[in-house]
This record gives sequence, C-alpha cells and structure tokens, in this order.
Amino acid sequence: MKVLLVGISHRTAPVEVRERVDFNVRGLQSALASLASRGSAGEAVILSTCNRAEVYVACEDARAARADVARFMSEFTGVQQSDIDPHIQEFVDLDAAKHLFRVAAGLDSLVVGEPQILGQVKEAHTAATDSHTTGPVLNRLFHSCFAVGKRVRSETGLGSGAVSVSYAAVALAKKIFGDLRGRTVAVIGAGEMGKLTALHVKTQGVHQMTIVSRTLAHAARTAQAIGGASAAPWEELDTVLGASDIVISATGAPQPILTKAHLEQIMRPRRNRPLFIIDIALPRDVEGAAGEIEQVFLYNIDDLQATVRENLARRAGEVTRAESIVEEEVAKFAAWLRSRGAIPTLVALRQRFESIRRSELERLDFKLSTLSPEARARVDEITHLIVEKLLLTPTEQLKSADVESVAAYAEAITRLFALADEEPAASNVEPFARERRRQPH
Amino acid sequence: MNAIPLVLYILAMVAYAWHFARRQPIVGRSATTLLIFGVLAHTFVIGMETMEFGHIPVAGATSAISTFVWLLALSYLYTELTTDERAMGVFILPLIVALQTIPAVKPSIEARSDVLRGPLFGVHVSSLLFAYASFALACVIGITYMLQFKELKAKHLGFFYTRLPSLQVLDRMNHVAIVIGWVFLTIGLLVGFVWAAQAKSYAGGSPQVQAMSLGDPKILVAVVCWVIYSFELFAARLIGWGGRKTAYLSLIGFTVVMFNFVAISYFLTKSHNF
Repeated sequence: MKVLLVGISHRTAPVEVRERVDFNVRGLQSALASLASRGSAGEAVILSTCNRAEVYVACEDARAARADVARFMSEFTGVQQSDIDPHIQEFVDLDAAKHLFRVAAGLDSLVVGEPQILGQVKEAHTAATDSHTTGPVLNRLFHSCFAVGKRVRSETGLGSGAVSVSYAAVALAKKIFGDLRGRTVAVIGAGEMGKLTALHVKTQGVHQMTIVSRTLAHAARTAQAIGGASAAPWEELDTVLGASDIVISATGAPQPILTKAHLEQIMRPRRNRPLFIIDIALPRDVEGAAGEIEQVFLYNIDDLQATVRENLARRAGEVTRAESIVEEEVAKFAAWLRSRGAIPTLVALRQRFESIRRSELERLDFKLSTLSPEARARVDEITHLIVEKLLLTPTEQLKSADVESVAAYAEAITRLFALADEEPAASNVEPFARERRRQPH
Repeated sequence: MNAIPLVLYILAMVAYAWHFARRQPIVGRSATTLLIFGVLAHTFVIGMETMEFGHIPVAGATSAISTFVWLLALSYLYTELTTDERAMGVFILPLIVALQTIPAVKPSIEARSDVLRGPLFGVHVSSLLFAYASFALACVIGITYMLQFKELKAKHLGFFYTRLPSLQVLDRMNHVAIVIGWVFLTIGLLVGFVWAAQAKSYAGGSPQVQAMSLGDPKILVAVVCWVIYSFELFAARLIGWGGRKTAYLSLIGFTVVMFNFVAISYFLTKSHNF
C-alpha cells in the first residue's frame, strides 16, 4: 500500500490555474465519488482551498494512480491537462506524509503559521469519511497530521502574533482590556477601511458600536452594513468618544480631527478608564502627540503594520522547531507504515488455512452425510474455531514484532507455507473501502 | 528543616522561569506541581515546629519570615489556580526563595517570652503576615502592569507583551490584593495597639513592652505603610490616579513593608525583638 499525493499549491501554480482547479465548485462529495469510481485509488481525501488543490490517495500502484489522479483532476474540473501538468507536485509515502504534516502545521501556507489550514484539513478528512473513501492508511495519516498541527500550535510560537492589521488591532485591544465583551466601540468615518476593521472587532462580542460620520445618512448605512451598530451625528462625537473604550478612526479628512488638547478634554472625566485609538486613516486623523496622554493608547496604521512585520519575523524564527516536530511525527508514521507490511502475509496465511479447512470438509463430506444438519453446522463451527486458534498467536506475534524483524518473519511464513505460489493476496484495504462505499448514504 | 521547602521553591522558580521564556504547557504544569509540593513540605515543617513549641512559630523574626513565605506561596497558588494566570510566578518565586533562605540558613530559635501570651497576639501576627502576603502579590502585579504598560505605550510589542495578562485584568487584581491586604493590615494594627495596652498591665516591666510606642521604628513604619495603602485605596482614584500610578504605589508600599519586616526586625526595633 502506497500513500500518494498529487496536487497543486500556491508554491507550484499561479492563481489563474489554482482558481480553475477548485473541487469545491462542484462539491467535494461528488469529486470524491467520481475519484472512487475510477478504481485506481483504494482510499482518497481531497484538500481544496484557495491556495491548494491536493489529492491524497492510498493505492497499490503509485505510478498508475499518479497518472489517473492527474487525469481525474483535469476531467473533473474541466481544465486542460496540459494546463495543469506543468504545475503538479507529487510525493510518495513518507514524502507525502511530510508534506501533509507541513501543510497542517501551517509551514506550507502563504502566511506561515496561519491557523485556518488545520481546520480545512480536518474538513477535508471529514468529507472523505462521510463519502466512505477513507480507510486505515489515510485515517492514520490524517490523525497524525492533526496531532502535528496541535503540537506545533502548543509547543511553538509559529501561530502566535497577529499577521493582519485587523487581527493586530484586536490583539492589542485584548492586551489592554482583557475580554472585549461588554466594551463600547466608536467608529469615526463611514468608509470601507473602517468598516472592515469594525466588522472584525464586532465579532469579539463588543457591547455597543456607534458610527459617527459627517453625513448621518452614510453613518446609518455603514451601521446597517455592520449590523447591530448605531449611527450618531457629528455633533455628538465628543459624547460618543467619552463613552467609548475603543475608537476606530478612518475618515478621509485632510487634517487631524482629534488633537491632543481635544482628547485631554475628553479624557478628564474618564479618570483612569483607558482609551484605545486605532487610527487607520491616511493622512492621520489623530494627532500623534495624543498618545502621550496617560491612558490613551494610540496606534496608527504604520504602528499596526510594524507589529504585523515583527510577528512575521518572530514566526520565521519558530520554523525550525516546527520542522523538527514534523520530522518526529513522520518517523512515527513511518514505523506504523512499516509494521503494516505484515498484513498481506497474515491475510495470505489466513486464506491458506481457510482453504485447507474447506477442502478437507468437502473431502470428508460423505462421512458426514449421516449427520443431522445441526450437527454438520457444529462441525463447521468447530473446525473454524480450530483454525482461528491456530492463527491467533502468529498474528499477534507478527503484529507486535518490531519494524526490523517484520520483513524477516513475513518472508519465513511465506516460504514455510508456500504462500507465494498462491494468487497474490488482495490488499485488505481495497475490498474494505469498496464494501463501505456500497453502503447507502 | 526549612531547607527542604527551599529546595522545592528553587526548583519551582527555575521551572516558572523556563515556562515564562519557552511557554511549554508541560513545564508550566510541572512548575505549579513543584510549588504545591514546596508548600506541602513547608506546611509539614511549620506543623512540626508548632508541635515542638506548642504554638505556631511566628514570634521570632526568622520564624515569622518562614510563616510569611508559606502564606505568600499559598496566596500565590490560590491566585494562580483561580485566574489561570501563571505569568506572575516568575516574579513571585524569587521573592519566596530569597526570603526562605533566611530561615533555612539561620535555624529559628523560638523562645516564647512571657509577654507574648494571650489570643490577641496570634491575631495580631497572623493578620499582619497575611496582609504582607497580599501586598507582595499586589507589588508583583504592579510590576507586571508597568512592564505591560511600557511595551503597549512604546508600541514595542516584545517579550512581556505576549506573556503578561491585559492591563485591566492586572489593575483589577492589584486592587483586590490591596483591599484584602489593607483590611488585614488594619485589623493587625488595631489588635496590636489593644494588645500592647493589655501587655503593659501584666508585663509592664519588660523592656520590649516599654518600647511599644510610635517612637519605635517597627511600629512607626507599620503606620506609614498603613497610610500609603490607605492613600492608594481611597484617595488615589479620587484624584485621578490609577493604572500606572497605583502600580507604583503598590511597589513603594511593599518595599517599605519588606524594609520593616526584615531590616528593622533584625537590627532596629526595640519593641519587637523577641
């Protein structure tokens, strides 16, 4: 059984190709069903995000499967194979495992350490489980990759620190206020930039959000677009600021709209209540000197972008630690994969014993003909139990044998029972997967 | 015997520092476990001393320090387990280790003077020790507040920014610690005055009792502490002090407390040298 990965990602293919090779357009379930019906893959999982389209399969013949999966990608998405082929990357067995582990850890992402990818990998696996296209090999592979993602997140700083301006703003607000639930937010200006940041802050469960704009109608429209926010006229700006914990300022004004003196006036009755001002306007809305006021925390767009850059640099420093976690988990998966080498031998051995039992029962059929049907059933059962008993110990021994000796044992058993003379034993995985597939949904 | 808890506290200190720097969850859990074992060992030591002397060892300056360390470790553990914040451990453990070194190196001599009879004495000492433990926590919380404040203001989000809790959480924790400390400080001082008056009636000849007045440095500085913390609690917020300034007050207040508790107790006081 081989693990094979065939796919394209942001590293290998330009966006024009990636956006066309999107399995989500026609639905992942139908893609999985279509791939399974081709028969080249015993097990399959499809990971399709905006940055990658990857097909993970477990198969007997990697070369045949590789060609077939590439054809499938082209046929299912309707993109010329000649357009996809130059961008395809493929990995077999441990290289495929390593690639998936790096993907799940966020090491292969466009923004290193971004957290969404692990969820997307989980969804891809769930979709495949629901479509009954997974089996023992890919299940094990994907569960290992979830463990990698979890370990990298808890043991390294790879995913720490915000790497977009909106996230950086929310992270800062949390370091000032703790929980953002119950906080009051003011948004100055009704433009697009302010709206985007406000939307992100809103998801943190803030208590109240008020939009203040020179044109009340614009403020009302933005408030409606954000949902659950209210609008206030420009004259009430001071009142709104006085009641707010967080201010997002993004007007198009050519001059600062909030000076240090003005803010000092607003801060006086607030005593020690902190005010976090996010000034994302260009040119700036808030006079830089206002940040000197004791409880005013003023961050402009450059400051936020600087923290984003710092975080990216810090993440880069954690890559080595994350890579070593990936290597450790690849080694564990490799051990598991090798111990699976015993399974075909065990299946062949079982088939040999069973065929002996059946042929002996058939040969002695005339002697048993005098027995009642119940007694004959009993004989069948007893002989079956004897075979099971005989197989039990060697099965356990072989499965628990260490990696190095499995191959030697398998070789010995194959020779002693002349298993190689028989029809090559079909993998236990493929019939398993096919049988599961036949179940009604 | 005080050396066993000291060793465990040192191990816990190393683990807390390691956890603070590398933030591996397992190291954090080990740090807490080590501290719990340190406190258990310390409880055992204090229990044994209590059996030996027939009372809780708080009368001598050295044994009072040991009991104070025990209360501080216990209070910190309570704070950590209720808030799920482990960051303060890296600041509190060095204090615990430094103070516990004194009883570990200098075995306590707990000869109970006749002056120290009566239930009021126990209330006096235990209230004050608990107040000092609260002030120690408030001081550490204040320091972390200042570190976090500095990085947020300077827009340099570095080492402490990611590791310390938010400003408002720290401000609230500081306030709670000061309230608890102030209540026990007040109780401890009031009981002390009442008890000193009583002691004059039955042990008036003792030089210590004769020295019990505001003129004695130990008593004077304790009253100064009370004034500092009363100001922090009642006046500071009214005149618009808060956040960083109350954090400073917590730091100054505890510095005075430590000066009184260690330096004055050993070298200067005439009224409290039992």
